[in-house]
Amino acid sequence: MGKADGFLHIGRELPQSRPPQERIGDYKEIYEDFSAEKAAEQAARCMDCGVPFCHNGCPLGNNIPEFNDAVYEQNWKMAYDILRSTNNFPEFTGRICPAPCESSCVLSINKPAVTIENIEKEIIEKAFEEGWVKAQAPQNRTGREVAIVGSGPAGLAAAAQLNKAGHHVTVFEKDDRIGGLLRYGIPDFKMEKWVIDRRMELMKQEGITFKTGVNVGKDISAIELRNNFDAILLCTGSIVPRDLLIPGRDLDGIHYAMEYLTQQNKTVAGDQIDAAVKLDAVGKHVVVIGGGDTGSDCVGTANRQGAISVTQFQYRTAPPEKRKKSNPWPEWPMVMTTSSSHEEGCDRNWSTLTKEFVADESGKVKGLRVVDLEWVSPTEYLEITDSERIIPCDLALIAIGYAHPLKEGLLDYLGVDLSKKGNIEVKDWQTNVPGVFAAGDVHRGQSLVVWAISEGREAARAVDVYLERNSLLERKDHTRLMVH
Amino acid sequence: MAEAHQTLLKNRLRNKVTLQTDGKILTGRDIAIATLLGAEEWGVATAALIVEGCIMMRKCHLNTCPVGVATQNPELRNLFTGDPDHVVNLFRFLAEELREIMAELGFRSVNEMVGRADFLQVDQNLDHWKMKKIDFSPILAFDNQLSQTGRFKQVSQDLDIEKVLDRQLIKKSYPALKNLIPVKLESEITNVDRSVGTMLSNEISKRFGSKGLPDDFIYCKLTGSAGQSFGAFLTNGVTLELEGESNDYFGKGLSGGKLIVYPPRNRVFKAEENIIIGNVAFYGGTIGEAFINGRAGERFAVRNSGVKAVVEGIGDHGCEYMTGGRIIVLGPTGKNFGAGMSGGIAYILDADGDFEKKCNTGMISLEQPEEEDFQTILDLTQKHVKYTGSEVGTSIVKSWDDYKKQFIKVIPHDYKAVLEQQKLEKVTA
Repeated sequence: MGKADGFLHIGRELPQSRPPQERIGDYKEIYEDFSAEKAAEQAARCMDCGVPFCHNGCPLGNNIPEFNDAVYEQNWKMAYDILRSTNNFPEFTGRICPAPCESSCVLSINKPAVTIENIEKEIIEKAFEEGWVKAQAPQNRTGREVAIVGSGPAGLAAAAQLNKAGHHVTVFEKDDRIGGLLRYGIPDFKMEKWVIDRRMELMKQEGITFKTGVNVGKDISAIELRNNFDAILLCTGSIVPRDLLIPGRDLDGIHYAMEYLTQQNKTVAGDQIDAAVKLDAVGKHVVVIGGGDTGSDCVGTANRQGAISVTQFQYRTAPPEKRKKSNPWPEWPMVMTTSSSHEEGCDRNWSTLTKEFVADESGKVKGLRVVDLEWVSPTEYLEITDSERIIPCDLALIAIGYAHPLKEGLLDYLGVDLSKKGNIEVKDWQTNVPGVFAAGDVHRGQSLVVWAISEGREAARAVDVYLERNSLLERKDHTRLMVH
Repeated sequence: MAEAHQTLLKNRLRNKVTLQTDGKILTGRDIAIATLLGAEEWGVATAALIVEGCIMMRKCHLNTCPVGVATQNPELRNLFTGDPDHVVNLFRFLAEELREIMAELGFRSVNEMVGRADFLQVDQNLDHWKMKKIDFSPILAFDNQLSQTGRFKQVSQDLDIEKVLDRQLIKKSYPALKNLIPVKLESEITNVDRSVGTMLSNEISKRFGSKGLPDDFIYCKLTGSAGQSFGAFLTNGVTLELEGESNDYFGKGLSGGKLIVYPPRNRVFKAEENIIIGNVAFYGGTIGEAFINGRAGERFAVRNSGVKAVVEGIGDHGCEYMTGGRIIVLGPTGKNFGAGMSGGIAYILDADGDFEKKCNTGMISLEQPEEEDFQTILDLTQKHVKYTGSEVGTSIVKSWDDYKKQFIKVIPHDYKAVLEQQKLEKVTA
């Protein structure tokens, strides 16, 4: 710990974000640069707790007080070594993680938390700048072939780890580019995609094979996969979206959030979208149904496309400004958050039920019938009389989460057991089919990037043990890093 | 606990002793196990702290506790969210759980339960590799035959409190206590005489309050080997002169009295080369003077807040956590000197020139004494010679100009800043 009482004298400070009116004119990241000195000052707020709850808050078990101390000492190389010992992709989590570490930060009991996520970003960007991040191909190869299906954060983390262990890894991706939801689910204003490309380049140099545009189960059969690989790791995500089955659902102009976000991400990447299927909010009244992070991403994207209005509905009540007594630290805080996309303009509505999509003469959606709710218990509500109204809606985006992985196809062919919720069941990351493993949302259900990376790393170790009986790969409760 | 209990039982002493245990007592189950192993009292500390909001920062020593539990910083103390009722609840639940376990085992009282290790067995389902070679049978041993004298405290001990030396000192001091006539007493002393002077001081305090009596009003010359806590809490007006030696806790909580100790006059050894008082002298002393013609043990003047003392050598951890007073050491010191020392000043005669290596410099700085300091050292050393006849002291006073160069002043950083601030305020006022 650099400064014993730093937290008493220094306030929480993040990089400035560009003004909303300026930033909605482009798809660039919204934060300005931060100086190394500022980052070191922020790191001085870390208290080096006797029991660092942030270790537990972080699904990766990042050694947070240690890298904070190194940053405070301006020893960036050491900070990078500490960080990469638990996290393969700090440049992703440093940008888009909701930072459960910060909500479990001891300082956040009664003061704003340490800016752990931003410090993480500063460390990894400094490391790239200084040329410390290099491709490190393994010295010895085991001769084993591992197939990873799905190139989202879980698949990529597992690929990096298994390659490090000396196995030859092939990553299959059904889309045209690597990254999964990391690339097509997250708008560029939150993470510009060169960040992924930069990492992919290193991973290719390290010897990982990437195959895009290959839908396993369709383009390659499950049997072929089993015959050609010593182990298979399924990281195909939880891709079946929850639907909103209300009258008018089949009208034109109602789409899943991910369809919309993917198109815009492809457009930013320079692809041409066929005019017949192109979704564009320009000149439209846009309604986003669902109040999570994906809903926010839709709001930000619609504003950038030039929507006349952006309205968001959530049927639950608005969360409180502060933690409720029943939701104490270090739990994840169920409180009102305003995302950067909300700052850019959005009419947010809570306790509102969407009842029916209303069509115009041509069969396109033109309005949404809603009604305000009064919640009488956590599971029961009453519709408030006379509150029913129709609001204008030319484009409706459904962002109410994912239900489960896609069973039909690969999972069926392989015959893996699924839980009641429809996620893959594993024992020590292995499915009921020997040699077939699963990690990420396909096992966990919809979750965070940081959880996907964590599961990818843990599962990689299990695959390594399966192939070699032993593994030198790190796991959450066991690091090989020595800090002196 | 198991060993203490079983050993006392084998020696038929268990019924005369209360056994208490602590360390990670968090649940009623922990209390039940401790009791079955032989404890009838338990200490619960960490659990109660956690209930009050402690989050185990392990920063209690830095004054930066962010939840206001262990800090003097008013801003941080405001953040304390604990409530006494939470602690009450914790103990209610602990008791409740213990009662449930007692009911399950069929015990009507804690006393019945003490030492019944036959109610404990090792969980065979634990397969930790460290468990494989551990034999718990000596810990869980239970011999019903041995319990004839009782397995828990039933007999109180006779402490002979009516016969302690202070009763005689008080009696002989009646002229001073009742008629304000100064007295001179003499007595032999042995190491079973503990806390000599403490009850006498209590009598003075009851009559005259904390200001006590004038200096040397009750002058007591003792000869022999003094037991623990010699002169503990000795108050104003009492002087104890000891020819001989003394055990640990010499001058504990000294409260204005004067202590003088020197070896037998007919000795054949050098006083300054031998330990004359034990460990932890002047623990928590607040005021008073002491002159020690010989060396002291470890933790000399720990937590001293005002006593002035001269000594001819000390062991490790000298002046630890000291907050006030003046300490003069005319001989060698042990390691870790001045750890956590936040106030007071120590003057060390560093004849070998290696004192700096023995210091814990976390909170203190070493300096050349100034004129004011030399005056303090000389005054106290002269008194030391006068009272004890110290040979070292005599040569220092005789060749003062040679010796004064060898003194090092030890002063805590923060204390120094406070003193300078006070000086400044005086000048401007």
